[in-house]
Amino acid sequence: MTLLENLAAGFELVANFESVFALAGGVLIGVIAGAIPGLSATMAVALTLPFTFAMQPITGILLLLGVYKGGIFGGSIPAILIKTPGTPASSATILDGHPMVKNGQAGKALGMALWASCTADLISNLALILFAGWLAAFALKFGPPEFFTLILFSLTIIAGVSGDSLLKGIVSALFGLILATIGLDLVYGTNRFTLNDPNLMGGLNFIAVLIGLFAIPEILAMVWNPKSKEGETQNLGKEWVTFAEYKRCFKTIVRGSFIGVFLGSIPGIGAAPSAFLSYSEARRKSPNKENFGKGEIEGVAASESGNNGVAGATLIPLLALGIPGDVITAVIIGAFMVHNLQPGPMMFLNSPDIIYGLFMGLIISSVFLFLIGSVAIRAFSYVADIPRGILFPAVMVLCVYGCYAVNNNIFDVGVMFAMGWLGYVMLCKGIPAAPFLIAFILGPLLEDNFRQSMLMSGGSAEILVRGPITWFFWTLTIITIVAIIRSGMGKKKAEAVEHGNQE
Amino acid sequence: MLNNSYFSTGLASLILSLFLIFVAIPYGVTAPSNVTNIVLSPVFWPEVLSILLGITGIALMISGRSAVKDSVAELLPTKGCYKRIALLAVLMAVYVAAIPWLGLVWTSMISFVALAILIKTSHPRTALISAVIIPLVLYMFFAHVAGMAIPQGEFLRLP
Repeated sequence: MTLLENLAAGFELVANFESVFALAGGVLIGVIAGAIPGLSATMAVALTLPFTFAMQPITGILLLLGVYKGGIFGGSIPAILIKTPGTPASSATILDGHPMVKNGQAGKALGMALWASCTADLISNLALILFAGWLAAFALKFGPPEFFTLILFSLTIIAGVSGDSLLKGIVSALFGLILATIGLDLVYGTNRFTLNDPNLMGGLNFIAVLIGLFAIPEILAMVWNPKSKEGETQNLGKEWVTFAEYKRCFKTIVRGSFIGVFLGSIPGIGAAPSAFLSYSEARRKSPNKENFGKGEIEGVAASESGNNGVAGATLIPLLALGIPGDVITAVIIGAFMVHNLQPGPMMFLNSPDIIYGLFMGLIISSVFLFLIGSVAIRAFSYVADIPRGILFPAVMVLCVYGCYAVNNNIFDVGVMFAMGWLGYVMLCKGIPAAPFLIAFILGPLLEDNFRQSMLMSGGSAEILVRGPITWFFWTLTIITIVAIIRSGMGKKKAEAVEHGNQE
Repeated sequence: MLNNSYFSTGLASLILSLFLIFVAIPYGVTAPSNVTNIVLSPVFWPEVLSILLGITGIALMISGRSAVKDSVAELLPTKGCYKRIALLAVLMAVYVAAIPWLGLVWTSMISFVALAILIKTSHPRTALISAVIIPLVLYMFFAHVAGMAIPQGEFLRLP
């Protein structure tokens, strides 16, 4: 099938009331969840996932993608208005967004955030359409050794970049890999850590693990300190963003979008570093650089285009290689699994209609984001006023229903609560949860490809360096480890100097 | 200076690694006796991961001894926080245990109210109304739209 035929097939799949409604509903849920401090886009996607079980695969996945995109934008609303980022990706938006609110330009800041987000989202979606197919075609040449080295590289980069400490990231990833070994052995079918309990023979339920890791710790943190997560809403003011201002910031928005696309397509980097890089590049190149940090509209445009530019691009490794680009796409992979779809190069051959349907849906989602975002900006004060004493009990009940619904199994609810406590301990100790979840998903794939490689070679490790692709990924892995260690050592030196100066 | 979060994480990782190597893997993983190549054995992967966890744990402990600043934002204890956290643990255990007996809907209603009290909600009436409505709406969706079997309990059954 040609590209046009595939796009037509995809359009046919999406052009129905159900899909369009799911997409619009998803964006709305995402914007609301992102706008509530304490709820994150990840949590919103995780809690929406169980509602997709009864839907058609394309409808369910579109709903989640809508929540993802809405959540990333929604996070900028409290970041600007109450200086509390709804999602980590919106942290850079505070730098100039909140000073604009202080200057009585809240409406202008939110308007620019929306325009920059939608533009970046569209550019990111186009990048996905252009590059995912090409990468998937290349990935068809991969065998088990190539996949093993690719997953190993992804894990290295994810463990290294998702927290302040490489070692804590590695510990988190190792916990995830160890937990993923629970269940029946992939080759011999013997028990591994199952304690002869039939509930454990299929391994720990992925949905229970992810809801437990990302939603329950927030409830625990709220119980620890019920006064936290409170903010004060601000008036929107009378000034609104003009087309002339959008035009002035357009170059910055496009630059930020490309930074987002580039960083988003590398597994594990995510939206927050992209927003900060885009912001610092904008400040470096802007004629108003002295205004940055004091309420410069270009700063808002830069950070928002940086974080939204990632949204489509993180789906490139997910769809083309089956590797989640960040923690939210790791959750979205759950929706594929629930509907017996395995993202990766084979999906481009076996289910091109779904792939191209997703592409079409993503393009439509940019329009919904603009329409729903415009309304959400005005409605934010109502959303932010939801009392925490009602929100968090509701989240707990939603978690339990969602988790139970996966397998109709109460055991999964217990697993979810247990994972919640583990997630809370990790939160208290500064261990990032993202490497854990991604390693938990990639663990079985890593082991399976390793053991298949060993079966192919009769136990010889030489197969793991059998060709240019494996060499390429080994080299990238080594370069990444060296770069992360060097940056960690540099940080440590800077801390030591700072500590010395303080003394 | 001893850096607490690094040192304690490292120590916990090391202990977990030793537990896995000497207890959990030998007693919890079944390996067929006819596996000739160690790399294909079901114990190989967990063993490699456990060893790596131990090494990382030691590295974290060393790094905790030399690090000058802990990047973890401290969760300062607030009044009654330990009591509330312990009560939440009990609430979670009771929630799971009571589902087969009371049913998911009624258990959720009670747990909703209990958690709202635990976090000292300033809107008790709204919390009570939400505690009834939210579990019922979720029940309607999962039982009647998604067609799932939601546990009904032994006392009061919903349509």
